[in-house]
Amino acid sequence: MKKIKINLLSFLAIVLLTFAIQIINASGQEPWKANQLLAPADLNKTFNNPKSPQPVIYSIGFQAIIKNSIDIGPGRDKESLKKLKLQLSKLPKDANIVIYCGCCPFNACPNIRPVFNLLNEMGFKNHKLLNLPQNIKVDWIDKGFAIKK
Amino acid sequence: MKKLILIATVLCLLFSISFSQSKELNIGDIAPDIRLPNIKGDTVSLYTLKNKIVLIDFWASWCAPCVNEQPKLAALYKKYKNSVFTVGKGFEIYGVSLDNKKKSWQGIIKKYNINWIQVSDLQFWASPVAKTYNLQELPFNLLINGKGEIIAKNLHGDKLEKAIKKILIRSDK
Repeated sequence: MKKIKINLLSFLAIVLLTFAIQIINASGQEPWKANQLLAPADLNKTFNNPKSPQPVIYSIGFQAIIKNSIDIGPGRDKESLKKLKLQLSKLPKDANIVIYCGCCPFNACPNIRPVFNLLNEMGFKNHKLLNLPQNIKVDWIDKGFAIKK
Repeated sequence: MKKLILIATVLCLLFSISFSQSKELNIGDIAPDIRLPNIKGDTVSLYTLKNKIVLIDFWASWCAPCVNEQPKLAALYKKYKNSVFTVGKGFEIYGVSLDNKKKSWQGIIKKYNINWIQVSDLQFWASPVAKTYNLQELPFNLLINGKGEIIAKNLHGDKLEKAIKKILIRSDK
């Protein structure tokens, strides 16, 4: 009986360990760190406070909806990456940069990862991904945050 | 008195907020009209399809699951286009694209030989129709009967066909 109990506990420990490793691996796959996700409300606040340093905002999705954002085009396209690279080459490495797409939930978005990887590779130190986990409608427009007029 | 004014103000504010937000559409509700241009630029109203069973398909060329679903919709369209239903005669699909580039939208229509109604204001997620229909994600669809009532919400694949079959009287190809 004791042997069965030990075996069961060992089995459970292995399952839990495998599960934990999978979680660590999955979270480590994203090119951004948790502190590089910018809350939408925080970006919106900067628009209302002209004294606050204004970031350079790049739309790397299908339409530049957010106020003051620059339309680059979908980050999955080579042409967009080329266009962005050119714009980024004019900025200092400590520039305050925000990128966003908002087409789909993060796990299905084809645009955010190639762009974030590019920013990492180019050695930028202060770049953030706007945290739009569902899409730009739910996480930005519906909240009444600033959009282009 | 001051307290009373404060309470009244808060209530007014809550009332205005609840009204400014788009209402979630549920089964039994009447689907609001949509009047958007097709590829040629002609406005097509959803309400011109009254008396038919209509699938309102919200999609976009940049949404992979939406694009993957188009051949399945084509099969349903072919199968039930001329069918007779309990509340409605004929089956139509009213595709609403959240694309923002006409070329991309048109490209998918051509690629998949989509021969049902397709409309778009090319405003991406900022489209007013996304607000009216309280869209939260894509793909999203609604099945409406001949009276314009919503009879099924966001069904795909076999579940969608099952909902169509449920109201089918006669299938005329």
